[in-house]
Amino acid sequence: MSEPIIVVRGLTRKFGEFVAVEDLTLAVPPGTIFAFLGANGSGKSTTIRMLIGLLRPSAGEIRVDGIDVIAHPRRVRDRIGYMGQRVSLYQGLSLRENVEFYAGLYGLEGAALERRWGAVRERFALADAEGERPENLPAGLRQRAGLALSTLHAPRLLFLDEPTAGVDVQSRELFWELIQEEADSGVTVFVTTHFLEEADYCDWVSFIDAGRLVADATPEELRARHSDGYRIRVSGGISEEGRTRLARAGLEARRDGEGWALRTARLDSAALAALGDALGPEAAGRVRVEQPAMNEIFRRVIADTAAARNGPAA
Amino acid sequence: MRWRRLRTLLVREVRATLRDPFTMASLIAVPVMALLAFSYVLATDVEHLALGVYDASASPASRRLVAELGASDAFDPRPFATRGALEEALVAGDVGVGLVIPPDFERDLLDRAPGAPPPELQLLLDGAETVVAGNAETFLRAIVARTGGDLVSGQAWGPSGHAAPTGLRTVTRVLFNPRLEGTPFMVAGTFGFVLSFLTTLITAVSIVSERLTGTFDQLQLTPATSAEILLGKLLPLGAVFAFDVIVMMAVAGLLFGVWPKGNVLFFLGVSSYYVVTSLSLGLIFSATSTTAAEAVQKTVLFSVPLVQLSGFAFPLRSMPAVVQWFAEALPATHYIRICRSIYMRGEGPLSMGGDLLLILVFGVALVWLAARTLERRA
Repeated sequence: MSEPIIVVRGLTRKFGEFVAVEDLTLAVPPGTIFAFLGANGSGKSTTIRMLIGLLRPSAGEIRVDGIDVIAHPRRVRDRIGYMGQRVSLYQGLSLRENVEFYAGLYGLEGAALERRWGAVRERFALADAEGERPENLPAGLRQRAGLALSTLHAPRLLFLDEPTAGVDVQSRELFWELIQEEADSGVTVFVTTHFLEEADYCDWVSFIDAGRLVADATPEELRARHSDGYRIRVSGGISEEGRTRLARAGLEARRDGEGWALRTARLDSAALAALGDALGPEAAGRVRVEQPAMNEIFRRVIADTAAARNGPAA
Repeated sequence: MRWRRLRTLLVREVRATLRDPFTMASLIAVPVMALLAFSYVLATDVEHLALGVYDASASPASRRLVAELGASDAFDPRPFATRGALEEALVAGDVGVGLVIPPDFERDLLDRAPGAPPPELQLLLDGAETVVAGNAETFLRAIVARTGGDLVSGQAWGPSGHAAPTGLRTVTRVLFNPRLEGTPFMVAGTFGFVLSFLTTLITAVSIVSERLTGTFDQLQLTPATSAEILLGKLLPLGAVFAFDVIVMMAVAGLLFGVWPKGNVLFFLGVSSYYVVTSLSLGLIFSATSTTAAEAVQKTVLFSVPLVQLSGFAFPLRSMPAVVQWFAEALPATHYIRICRSIYMRGEGPLSMGGDLLLILVFGVALVWLAARTLERRA
């Protein structure tokens, strides 16, 4: 496995007596989408501002792409792209003028700018908006333009702080497709959100609660650890041999009205193969899978953490 | 109107006000400062004004006159050996007003023929300090007339023993602004007020607004350095305000006939530098505020002493010494003094070295502080 591109150890930030982030330790592999999830006020934005060098931590270490961000916050700046909760486009300037402004600060001009902006404009479908001022654009398009600008200088890492806040569902889906394209091209994406269901777009998920890291795993691993697993409803019958095969793959079948109900912690290739074997060629038409919602998992994680902190109930 | 609803609104407003230390400080400090300033500091009475005296008579009568002036609390007499030295001190601002006593003062006062004119004292005033000059002249004439009358009626000084029919005459010579016109005084001061208040106000909201819209974070994450960001803010606004100076000069000249007596390019250069100084102060207010309203409050709070204590409208010489020291800590005080020196006296850089040096120091310090503030916020 390659070296983590973001390494955080013992990161703490206090505002007076209030501890916003406490003893946070993270490692983000390169080229992944890393979701940093939590409720409003849990410390997500404080963390991301420390990672990009906008806020000095009270304690701890941060290395981004091998650079000590606390000691040298400026050195990391041409390697990262950032998009905050408020899209950072200058009102009064057209989108094109905003592009020229930010590109100019990265030394991107002339033919190089035209090439790069041409590609970004096409990928983010911004051609029609180029002459418009940001204040006249719909929220979804403005967010997309903000993301496009943060990738203009081809950064190795993208830090996105609540990028889909205030955006409709359709625009959010399109937005996540673009984020995944960035990750596919090798960019590491560190994203915070309070939309917990967005975790499923990500390779790795960390939950933060009251400034503390309470879970840190892949979405599948979190489901396995902190839920009753996938619930699979099968209409019609399952032969005894089929039930045995399912049991061997960890799927225990119980009668549920006219059909069967199965549960499994992981819906991996072994479980899917067992389902195929047990139900035969018509399996797809007879099966309905209910995935544990990330909201539910988050609640369970918080409850489990509180229980572990307070000790077993009497 | 329902009392309960009104009470609810009142309780919220009072709580919000009491819990905002900046607003509370403003609510208390501004009225107190205004009261102190207007009733004490900015009173137009002449008190302990430095009075340069060239006593060519050096007689008992002239010494009595100087002693009477010193005893009045209005003036603090300082002797000068020559008239030239007195004029130099007046131009340099070391004294606020000058008095020249002629060599034959005592003889002309106490031993002159009936019908002969009374002796003539000369008052030297700095017309660039219009208000001080006007007030001082009135006070000085009154004291001189009274003392002259006392001297003549007392007869003790007269060697010939006969009574003089009248007291003293004073003639006034005003340097730089002979008619003591208020317009040149105010025009020159207005440059200081505009370039201090408006520049600070405009920039005070700039960074805090950018921070609220998120563009400042984005800007700080680009490779642009704090110095580049600072200059990127200062230079365009500086150019606009430098243009404003030209427009103001043209308007003052064409409408009021008030043109700078000194070098226009020198005035423009000093003003442009001062603009950058004031803009830096605005940026510091902006970078240390969390809302645009707070930045504006700071600017307004700053402009109270600016108007009252910088010499823009009220003469510094009439203020107590402690307040004058405080006024010296305001860059505007020195810029306004420079404006009046160039505009009304036609002076060059050599005669205003102290103020120029201080403006230079203030400028470097404020630009550095603004850059540091931006860096620290990063």
